[in-house]
Amino acid sequence: MNGQTKAPSKLNNSELWGGLIGLALGVFVIWSGLKLKLGTINDPGSGYVLFYTGILMCVFAATIIAAAITEGGPTFASRWQDARWTKPLLVILCLIAFSFALEPLGFLLSAIPLMVLLLRAIDPVRWSLTIPLAVLTPLGVWWVLKRLLLIQLPSGIFEIG
Amino acid sequence: MDVLLNVAQGFGVALQPINLLYCFLGVFIGTLVGVLPGIGPISAMSLLLPVTLSGTPESGIIMMAGIYYGSMYGGSTTSILVNIPGEAASVVTCIDGHQMAKQGRAGPALGISALGSFIAGTFSLLALMLIAPSLASVAIAFGPAEYFSLMVLGLVVLTFLTQGSMAKALLMACIGIVLGLVGLDSITAMPRLTFGRLELIDGIGLVPVVMGLFGVAEVLINTEQVIKRDIINTKITQLLPNRADWKASAGPVGRGTLLGFFLGILPGGGAVVSSFASYALEKRLSKTPERFGKGAIEGVAGPEAANNAAAGGAFIPLMTLGIPPNVVMALLLGAFVIHGLQPGPLLITQNPGLFWGIVASMYIGNVMLLVLNLPLIGMWVQLLKLPYNILFPLIILFTITGVYCSSNNVFDVYVMIAFGVIGYFMRKLGYEPAPLVLAFVLGPLLENNLRKSLILSQGDLLTFVQRPISAACLALAVVLLVGPLLPSLRKKRELVALDEGA
Repeated sequence: MNGQTKAPSKLNNSELWGGLIGLALGVFVIWSGLKLKLGTINDPGSGYVLFYTGILMCVFAATIIAAAITEGGPTFASRWQDARWTKPLLVILCLIAFSFALEPLGFLLSAIPLMVLLLRAIDPVRWSLTIPLAVLTPLGVWWVLKRLLLIQLPSGIFEIG
Repeated sequence: MDVLLNVAQGFGVALQPINLLYCFLGVFIGTLVGVLPGIGPISAMSLLLPVTLSGTPESGIIMMAGIYYGSMYGGSTTSILVNIPGEAASVVTCIDGHQMAKQGRAGPALGISALGSFIAGTFSLLALMLIAPSLASVAIAFGPAEYFSLMVLGLVVLTFLTQGSMAKALLMACIGIVLGLVGLDSITAMPRLTFGRLELIDGIGLVPVVMGLFGVAEVLINTEQVIKRDIINTKITQLLPNRADWKASAGPVGRGTLLGFFLGILPGGGAVVSSFASYALEKRLSKTPERFGKGAIEGVAGPEAANNAAAGGAFIPLMTLGIPPNVVMALLLGAFVIHGLQPGPLLITQNPGLFWGIVASMYIGNVMLLVLNLPLIGMWVQLLKLPYNILFPLIILFTITGVYCSSNNVFDVYVMIAFGVIGYFMRKLGYEPAPLVLAFVLGPLLENNLRKSLILSQGDLLTFVQRPISAACLALAVVLLVGPLLPSLRKKRELVALDEGA
């Protein structure tokens, strides 16, 4: 926590928000447990363990919230201080785009652009290395899986691969 | 005599050409992922879990085990030469190992690390051979109450040893249990938390969860900072430690081996904890503790022996009780399950070829590692020069294909990406993923044993405290839960609390 700005009871206290998310999840798990039926102690139902786990989650989340209010915690800004936060964001966006393109376009047509983006967008690799890596690696993976291990990867609407 | 016959049977299995090949592949991949920072044994094992389906159970599990103990060897190379831990258990090796390398003693540092690891690995295997069958015969008498309490203890120990707030670690463990319960209830066949998605009826897959939380999240964390590498460029000569090095290292290797082995057996313990504990012990016992941090060979020998001994010790609870003591063993449990095998007290008697084959292969693997690590050091150094901006797109691509192949379903790729993003934010906010993953694996077993024991005891909760083993486990768990409230114990916990990730 060194060097991180403390935010005792402010809305940008990241510890407080972490605890609140945990509390919300705990309440949801309790509700799900109740919906699934608790059963009796002699014959516990499907929701029995969920219900009590939800209660424990609320207790632990409340402890985190209490500590965040009394002791404070780092702000969101300090958590990302000196970090190039746009880089992981770019990787996440690339992965989301890839996951949506995988089935319609197929493995090869979606993996090659993904590799180009990842190689160029974060800490750019020179084009003379990017192109062969982006093309040959997915091709190599596809060949090993399809020919050697007989695993079919998505071929997409163009049926490539 | 029985042990010798069993060992002979085990070598018969392990020396089959196909098993030798899988063993070599396992230790090679293990060394590779140990050497490369940013990808650890957890990611590699979950990535290769589907590959094990193509062979016999023996081959698959031999390979998976090889990746684990292989990474313990490989991790030290990166710690010594680059000052970046190749995997979490080698963090402590950076302190004195890199200092030795800077003083021109990279060779002896690498040498003592490999030889110490070999000695510790050999000892832990011998102990595994002797302890596991006896413990398994005791474990046959365990009922659901004992299993439930042991799993609770395992989870509490892991949360106790996890870095940062214990409340956060416990919250993560609870979330892991809930995630593990997604899908059909094994007793009533009622779908739980499936949100009407057919893909969730069988539950959330272990591979996408682990790959997301450890593989993708690690990449996201690494991309936000510029990784600086301080690679030792001088030619590495004289790998074998001299007489003085051996004299200084003999004690630390012996103590590290014993400490590592026993910490490895404990649920929630493991290689990371034992390497730190060994370093602290050696520094405390040393007549010249001021040398530590400035290139003391004892600071390399002890922790490296400890993490390898722990890797062997961790197999005991998995093989004899069917309870994984850490995330890596949870993945190995996954490998057993996908082959229709259930590790536990009956495994050794019902499937002796498999158990003794795995143990024998680990010995062969340790010999292979010694050969791989010392003469091939130049190759691993070249590999270390691979820049991270080229490495991480490859990791992402292999991760995606690995997850897709584990189920042939794009849904698992979505799950992996979602857990990758969740894992990234968890780490940024100080929530460790290890308790979540272990609880995710133990969740269904924990629920099953709790419900079974309540049904058998007709709802009598005293069943958990009337049975001595169960009572002892629960008492220890309570001590660990209440302990951090006491200032003196809190300080001790902060000293040993570790990041089990990577």
